[in-house]
Amino acid sequence: MPTSMFFDVLIVGIMVGAIYTLVTIGYSMVYGMLKLMNFAHGDVYIFGTLLCYTLLTKYQLNPLLAILLAALSGGTLASLVEFFAYRRLRAAQHRMISMITALGAAYVIQNNSERTWSSQVLPFPSLFPAHQVYVFGHEVSVAPLITLTVAVLFIIVFNLFLKRHKIGKAILCVSQDMPTSSLMGIPINKIITVVYFLGGVLGVIGGILYSTSYNAISLGMGFRGTIVAFTAAVIGGIGSMSGTLIGGMILGITENLVSVYISSSYRDSITFLILIIILLFKPTGIMGSVEKDKL
Amino acid sequence: MNKRLVAYSATLIAAIGLPFALSNDPYLLAITNFIIIYSILCLGLNLILGYSGLLSLGHAAFYGIGAYATAILMTKHGFGFLPSLVISGLLALLLGFVLGLPTRKVRGDYFCLLTLAFGEIFRLVTQAWIGFTGGAMGIVGIPIPTVFGWEIKSEVDFYFLGIALLGFTYVTLKMLIESKFGRAFIAIREDELAASVMGINAPIYKILTFSIGSFYAGLAGSYLAVYQTTVTPSNFRLEESCLMIIMVIVGGMGRLEATFPGVAMMAIAIELFRPIAEYRLLLIGAIMILVLLFRPQGFLGASAFKD
Repeated sequence: MPTSMFFDVLIVGIMVGAIYTLVTIGYSMVYGMLKLMNFAHGDVYIFGTLLCYTLLTKYQLNPLLAILLAALSGGTLASLVEFFAYRRLRAAQHRMISMITALGAAYVIQNNSERTWSSQVLPFPSLFPAHQVYVFGHEVSVAPLITLTVAVLFIIVFNLFLKRHKIGKAILCVSQDMPTSSLMGIPINKIITVVYFLGGVLGVIGGILYSTSYNAISLGMGFRGTIVAFTAAVIGGIGSMSGTLIGGMILGITENLVSVYISSSYRDSITFLILIIILLFKPTGIMGSVEKDKL
Repeated sequence: MNKRLVAYSATLIAAIGLPFALSNDPYLLAITNFIIIYSILCLGLNLILGYSGLLSLGHAAFYGIGAYATAILMTKHGFGFLPSLVISGLLALLLGFVLGLPTRKVRGDYFCLLTLAFGEIFRLVTQAWIGFTGGAMGIVGIPIPTVFGWEIKSEVDFYFLGIALLGFTYVTLKMLIESKFGRAFIAIREDELAASVMGINAPIYKILTFSIGSFYAGLAGSYLAVYQTTVTPSNFRLEESCLMIIMVIVGGMGRLEATFPGVAMMAIAIELFRPIAEYRLLLIGAIMILVLLFRPQGFLGASAFKD
């Protein structure tokens, strides 16, 4: 097995891992804050990505503008879903209820996207050049490197936003203790809307990066995205930022190694197998903390 | 007790009379049979969901295990229907027990993910293991079942077989819930910590509830196999598990009788939206959101049910 091929696979794996991290952030934040499994997450980000596809191919828009528009509409859709399907149920007797409305919202968005874009695989244009460069004496394509850089940049910027910006700090407060934050004067509803919005934006950016590196997009990737987000979030420890990165990376790299060295038809099974193993041996995830019952 | 006897006999008479009321219309009977299958599945799921508070996203997998067990036993090993039915149920029970074991450690939403992963792996394996499960094409040519010399061929025959299974499911579950066992898991549902302080071994009860619920899914699967005469992996996708959960929640969790209106409503909605199939998912999604926004406990749900 040539080392350069392994190197290539590893870089693509890390790239996919970074993209998975972007897609997972929104999902994991919502879970950490509201303990809600947002089934609509994947359908929201695939809606934004499909919108970007239309803007790029049909309207020949400037890629940056197209990505911006798509990301903003993805974010808006995510906060609309929250407003219509979840907000009223936040105080409901059982968390399962809002999970089912999440599923309902996922169906509605999915059906709408299917009507507009069909469920076929569409050719997503390449946004980055296809040159080869030499890294440590190995020939590597430049596109995955750019994708990786962009994804990592977004992760870093988002982290800084959480730690430094006032709204970011408020988000961290709310996810730690909602009633107390509310007493401290943090507008809970606004913060939750912001979290959904940002989750949608980052998800769409992840979706676009993924689609452009594989030159393909399809509706089915939405559901897969939800599963990937579930798995990556659980592996890392739901709600934890660094955990999300670790989870995304583990998933991205393993999937790529398995696809190349074993068989790509086992890719999905491996995702689930990793999930089961993690759940059995470390149910709270690598970076998660144990929740104790209050007496 | 007398009142219940009257209710049971009235239901029985209505059930026997129904095919004649539907004037043996095969289309209406097919819908009724669909409702029966899903009622069996959802009664089992309501036990898991409503009485032990475990969210199972893998119920379709147990349904599939029952269906594949019956299909393989009847086509490849020449088993009769009744032994296959029993084996299918017991196999689902056993696998439910094994999958339920981690509930000791894996809790709440993590358990939900575990069942989701189990369901997806079941589907991927049935697609990939062509030699055993027939791959994506599934298993075809499942023979006509015979029960004590009664050949079950027409829609009406299957209706009566289904009613018998449904009756068995309902009565046994009702007995279970009203027994000491049932009171224990209602106590666990209401307050797990308090129940365990009272000496109820909560993990064991949860595992048993989960495997018993799965047992009925196995029975329903076995019925589906002989009813359709084919089984394919696409019968047991995650969407099926979700549909069952929706039916249980729309009807009302934690009350067996509430399962029936939930199943019937969703089944009829699916049928009504068939002509506008392209909007079907949208309408079903909208119904789910609207019902739960205005009636979060479902139509007949136990109102005391809390997180």
